[in-house]
Amino acid sequence: MSQSVAVVGVGNTRYGKLPDYDAYELGLWALKDALADCGLRFEDIDGLIVNRIPDYQRFCEIAGLNPSYVSITPGQGRFSGICIETAAALIRDGIAATVALVYGNNGRSGGDRYGGAGDTYGSGGGGLWFAYGMTSPGAFHALMGRRHMELYGTTAEELGSVSKTFREHAALNPAAVMRTPFTLADYHASRYICEPLHLLDYCLINDGGVALILTSGERARDLVQPPVYLRGYGMATALTGSSFPPDDFWRAPMRKAAEKSFANAGATHADVSALMIYDNFTPTVLFALEGFGYCREGESGPFVAQGHLKLGARYPTNTSGGHLSESYMQGWALNAEAVRQIRGACGERQVEDCTFVHYMAAAPVVTSIIYGRDPS
Amino acid sequence: MRPLPVIEGADQPFWRALRARAVRVQRCSNCGAYRFPAARFCAHCRSEGFDWREVAPSGTVESWCVFHRAYFEGLEVPYTVIQVRLDCGVRLFSNPIGVEPHALAIGLPVEAVFEDITPEITLLKFKPRNPSQ
Repeated sequence: MSQSVAVVGVGNTRYGKLPDYDAYELGLWALKDALADCGLRFEDIDGLIVNRIPDYQRFCEIAGLNPSYVSITPGQGRFSGICIETAAALIRDGIAATVALVYGNNGRSGGDRYGGAGDTYGSGGGGLWFAYGMTSPGAFHALMGRRHMELYGTTAEELGSVSKTFREHAALNPAAVMRTPFTLADYHASRYICEPLHLLDYCLINDGGVALILTSGERARDLVQPPVYLRGYGMATALTGSSFPPDDFWRAPMRKAAEKSFANAGATHADVSALMIYDNFTPTVLFALEGFGYCREGESGPFVAQGHLKLGARYPTNTSGGHLSESYMQGWALNAEAVRQIRGACGERQVEDCTFVHYMAAAPVVTSIIYGRDPS
Repeated sequence: MRPLPVIEGADQPFWRALRARAVRVQRCSNCGAYRFPAARFCAHCRSEGFDWREVAPSGTVESWCVFHRAYFEGLEVPYTVIQVRLDCGVRLFSNPIGVEPHALAIGLPVEAVFEDITPEITLLKFKPRNPSQ
């Protein structure tokens, strides 16, 4: 790609229960942390996109910001990738030189529910099916998980191994909310929420905030931290009929986004050192591995059970613990982890010689971002 | 009280038909695509013309899940939700009747069961289709 773009600052709050902070304050806390990380000032930000924070005007008022470009995005996990790709386009087009992406989530203390009367998951028509008891993103993914099990023989053990692996990673991450390792027996013993999914197949609900600062590769070289380059990225959607699970587990849009991002990264799967996979529920990890080409269709179950996602294995995945164990920051903390892995700043959970990290999200809007240590 | 559907809105013809033991959904008068819930425009050809057509009350199971966590008062857990594709192509969420979750399968042929839950409201549920039919 013509002009390079890099992440130069990452910041986050503590994760967990933070009842004294609202979403604005969590976002600002993270933004202060990200600016301190890269040595930039609030005045240097000329582009801002807020995510899950209810109002951009109020946020700017609280933060004392007058960016040239400002936008706001809804609190859906797919938007972390969208915002990052949009920030790169703003920088490439000269609309903004330094873009701050700010996410704040007080869902735990705010009492957010992901099912029942207030549920708007899908395209907003959820209430139509309440009479049959159908509700929640968890049930949507349980339907997809069951279908994968029936079609390909995927097992509960295989889903459990995803969750167990990420917990082992979280045990090495002091910032993670859930750090106590568990066995597959513990997994089986954990209660069903929506069968075939157990409690341990579900992501956490916690408070926190994350901020990323992006700028051109050229500016990035003068800053404190080693730049982490957005070597490739791509998006694709499957929005028609998306009130219902897709027949292909979003394989078609994932293939499209993967091809695009690998092509503009000038890299292949063989070059990738670590994966950050959007893990709202364990089945999503399986769908992503297949859709983004890390294993063949239907083979993700055995692939994860063979241990390929563990630290020290071929594709260490969600080395922070992910949404399942670190923090439910809707993709943002996974992107922060990608940057920190490439910087070599991950301590005990550091992936050796980490040159490329692939962030991917399987959803009706698919995003794929390949971070690289080198500018080209 | 259990959650009830809004039967007076744009989907009223669907709910009225269930009461009369029939399944009616919108059909695009331009391209013939069936759709539910109601929409002004056809998502295939964006045409505005439609009528409510009676369709075959049969389809196949695409997937299922079993709720163990209760999200609604008046719906006792565990209960099963099925994802059904009607033969006309419209997809629905529903509940199976007379079949345990372990006996469900992808592609299982099912037919409508009309379940009156109040004097005004009938739900569209499904039971395995009799192979001889």
